[in-house]
Amino acid sequence: MSELRWHPLLGEWVATATRRQTRTFLPPADFCPLCPTKPGGFPTEIPEPNYDIVVFENRFPSLSTEPPAPSVEATELYPVRPSKGVCEVVVYSPRHTSTLADEPVEQIYKLIQVWTDRFRELSALDFVDYVFIFENKGEAIGVTLHHPHGQIYAYPFIPPRIARELERSRAHMQATGRCLVCDILAEERRDGRRIVCESDSFVAAIPFFARYPYEVNIFPVRHLQALTEMTDAERRELAATLKQVLMAYDKLFDLSFPYMMVLHGRPSDGGDYEHYHFHIEFYPPLRAAGRLKYLAGSETGAGMFINDTHAEEKAAELRAHIAPVHWKTSDK
Amino acid sequence: MRSRRIKLEDGRYLIFYTFDEETAQADERLRRTDAAGQSDSPRVADEGAAEPVSKEERRV
Repeated sequence: MSELRWHPLLGEWVATATRRQTRTFLPPADFCPLCPTKPGGFPTEIPEPNYDIVVFENRFPSLSTEPPAPSVEATELYPVRPSKGVCEVVVYSPRHTSTLADEPVEQIYKLIQVWTDRFRELSALDFVDYVFIFENKGEAIGVTLHHPHGQIYAYPFIPPRIARELERSRAHMQATGRCLVCDILAEERRDGRRIVCESDSFVAAIPFFARYPYEVNIFPVRHLQALTEMTDAERRELAATLKQVLMAYDKLFDLSFPYMMVLHGRPSDGGDYEHYHFHIEFYPPLRAAGRLKYLAGSETGAGMFINDTHAEEKAAELRAHIAPVHWKTSDK
Repeated sequence: MRSRRIKLEDGRYLIFYTFDEETAQADERLRRTDAAGQSDSPRVADEGAAEPVSKEERRV
């Protein structure tokens, strides 16, 4: 059963999705549900022998287009609502052992086009207020399938973390007349020590306020609110910037670097979010090779992060591993 | 970019995205249009895709 239960102390929705307890957990490679279905072979989620990029509705969704009625009665203190929304899986590649970092920049560019298409379509649904694109990578994050993939949640409300960013951005705009992320970007470029790499259209940095040791944020230089507002040239530059950051992550400790990657764009509720600025955030759980940063008492119980490192030093470490990106085609 | 949508046995949808040479050329034309300062062009419509609603319409 699944439903949305209101958390009166925090003022936010909690999704219960008990069916997810039975989802596929780290299957052997021969039985990966995200691989193509080979003739005579194990029938996977994808019923064709090959593909480039595939998107499908999650078999074990937290939110669904036709959710069941809540299993409990709402009260005045405890509102309950059906968990209406969409949960999609985005399979980046048919190559089981690949990662986004391993994929050529051309494939990342394709993925950005797919993200843009999904954002456009899901945003248009009348019950969707926020489209959240993300990837959990690595067992350290809790992934249950190793095949390279990400996810998209289309929420029937603006989730609290985004709502807080929107609120802070609006307050900054009202106080200064400027975009908060544009100001952050200007400050990072003025200082320079925390920048990991940059191009004409994007800046990747571990910002001054980073909560994780290797928390890279990727900001578009141009003030824009969503993927759909990017030009094709910007999508190509974003692909190159992502490739550079992902490769640097893997080189850092000479391992496939675990992370959460989240795209923060404007909501889809039809409101005016001109004050907001699209960006991508990475939250890697490693603070050193083989050492995890845990979200422990202060982080989880009080909401105050303790970062054992300085962004200036960690950015320099990553910057040392930034390498040029090579496109196979000459028309980048 | 092209997309092809199918329905799985349990009713869920699955979308194949393909990027062939012809589409790459269309992308190139789009890129030139974008570079000229025009807005993003609409994607190829899918059978069964959600009906697009503009942001302005949503506001109304």
